[in-house]
Amino acid sequence: MKRVFVDLDRCLGCHSCMIACAVEHSLTKELFKAVQETPLPKTRIEVKTTEGGGSFPLQCRHCEEPYCIDACIAGAIRKDPETGLVLSDEKKCVGCWMCVMVCPFGVIRPSLIPDRREKVAIRCDLCQDRETPACVEACPTDALFFGEAEEFKKAVMSRARRRENALLNSG
Amino acid sequence: MRYLIVGNCAAGVNAIEGIRRLDKDGEVTVISNENSLAYCRCLITEYVMGTRRKEDILYREKEFYEKNRVNLILGKEVVRVDVSKKRVILQDNNSLSYDKLLIATGATPKSLGIKGEKKYGVFGFRTLSNAEEVIKIGEQVGRVVVFGGGLIGLKAAYGLKKRGIDVDVMVKSSRVLSQVIDTEAAHIIGRWLQENGISIRTGIAPQEILGDKEVEEVILDNGERVRTKLVIIGKGVMCNTSLIKNSPIKTHWGILTDDFLQTNIEGIFAAGDVAETRDIATGNRTVNALWTAACEQGKIAGMNMVKMIKRYPGSIGANSADFFGLPLISVGYVRVKEEGYEQLIKSNPKEFKYKKVVLKGNRLVGFTAIKDIENAGVYTALIRKKVDVSSVKDILLEDYLDYPKVRELLEEKEGLRESISMQGETIKIA
Repeated sequence: MKRVFVDLDRCLGCHSCMIACAVEHSLTKELFKAVQETPLPKTRIEVKTTEGGGSFPLQCRHCEEPYCIDACIAGAIRKDPETGLVLSDEKKCVGCWMCVMVCPFGVIRPSLIPDRREKVAIRCDLCQDRETPACVEACPTDALFFGEAEEFKKAVMSRARRRENALLNSG
Repeated sequence: MRYLIVGNCAAGVNAIEGIRRLDKDGEVTVISNENSLAYCRCLITEYVMGTRRKEDILYREKEFYEKNRVNLILGKEVVRVDVSKKRVILQDNNSLSYDKLLIATGATPKSLGIKGEKKYGVFGFRTLSNAEEVIKIGEQVGRVVVFGGGLIGLKAAYGLKKRGIDVDVMVKSSRVLSQVIDTEAAHIIGRWLQENGISIRTGIAPQEILGDKEVEEVILDNGERVRTKLVIIGKGVMCNTSLIKNSPIKTHWGILTDDFLQTNIEGIFAAGDVAETRDIATGNRTVNALWTAACEQGKIAGMNMVKMIKRYPGSIGANSADFFGLPLISVGYVRVKEEGYEQLIKSNPKEFKYKKVVLKGNRLVGFTAIKDIENAGVYTALIRKKVDVSSVKDILLEDYLDYPKVRELLEEKEGLRESISMQGETIKIA
């Protein structure tokens, strides 16, 4: 199952992913118009900082046994049996924040539906309308990766090997 | 294998899913005394508000029962469980046999225990039919009295006010939400509700309800008389255990369950508002009558009905609500009454902001937040996993306390991995 993965070593904390995500989930989908929307579109990926001061992009994990599904009093959250994605039906959501209360990663956030201004809980939906999520496409350092876990591991390892070789050659 | 589930709400529905995860062929029967399909009980507030229609608050559509091959019996009451013959007796004297039984009969609003409360116009706020009646009368009279300042009473008041019906909330104690949050937080919520047009009076209880067949007037315990045609009672709930009266199934606050949500009788399980479980934060046995807990319990009980494989970690008192755009989340043990607890508080009543954590030794046992609720789930996870939080104690009240700051604490604990897929997690390669 395709997911967004992060190579923490490559993340510079530039927040490009956050901007791309907010724009993608805006009404106009254009940066300079999106910043003038009310309410302001919100990002679903957030670059947090670790205890050591490093950057840590964080978004919905699409858990195996999601707490949020049990907690939803509106029955608005389902796990897609095929893709494994945990998706919220924003039309069903009443903004009670039960999912916000139970998500151990803190990646479900209170927001407002752009056009109707109704309360809604938002999370990463892996950009259902796009081939590659907007955050991944926008990442200038390739810290974000979209694909299978195995592919990601391979990509990170080959990158490490190249780096090692380069160091050896230069030394 | 014949599975029988009594009750078709949060716990019952999730039990169907639990059973079907492990047993595709067994015979599943669900029986409920309600006539409607399972609906989101908590959303009757939105129904009263007028922002959701009846069909919008269905929890599962009809197809769900077909897809899961459930024999659904609606509008029938189970009056007795015959443990020795492994069957339940219905009100119409018919009976149903089972191999495995789940009691998920839920709870009923507590009554006031005063004269005249059976009159037409006095309602609990729990069922869709309650909500329908409340709207009907409320629209005619334009004014409602709500007794009880708990979440149910306040949600009823909020829904009615949003519909344009005036509400007087009368609370016996000195503040609203006295069973949910601490005094300071309660004052913030109370003041916010008042600013949004809900009248709240504290230290007042009803003494008698007057009227012929219908409510006309309420006499309060201070002698005052209030004219009203509609009274809503939000005094908490009691477990629906009448079907096991005179059976060997043990009860205390609710039906006693073990770590697998099984009762003292093998093959009989209990889940949801009727079940008594161990509270994770306090360690005490209690009934956490919450939608969230009912779903989790139903799912686990359902799986265990097939095969005893899933241990229930215990319930947690956790509430979330949003009144007029002000969010409130409270988890675990927060109304500290005895020694041995440490409370850290950041309060800004002017801006209706509040954040509090309660610690016992190095463990987080409670958390309340008003207004800024992002990352609330991180605190819930710390409470659930019973981790030592001393390394992050200094930043517990900060807005930047988020998952990356406590990642190592949470990941060290087995169990988080068990319940949470790490597929989306960062893979670190040295």
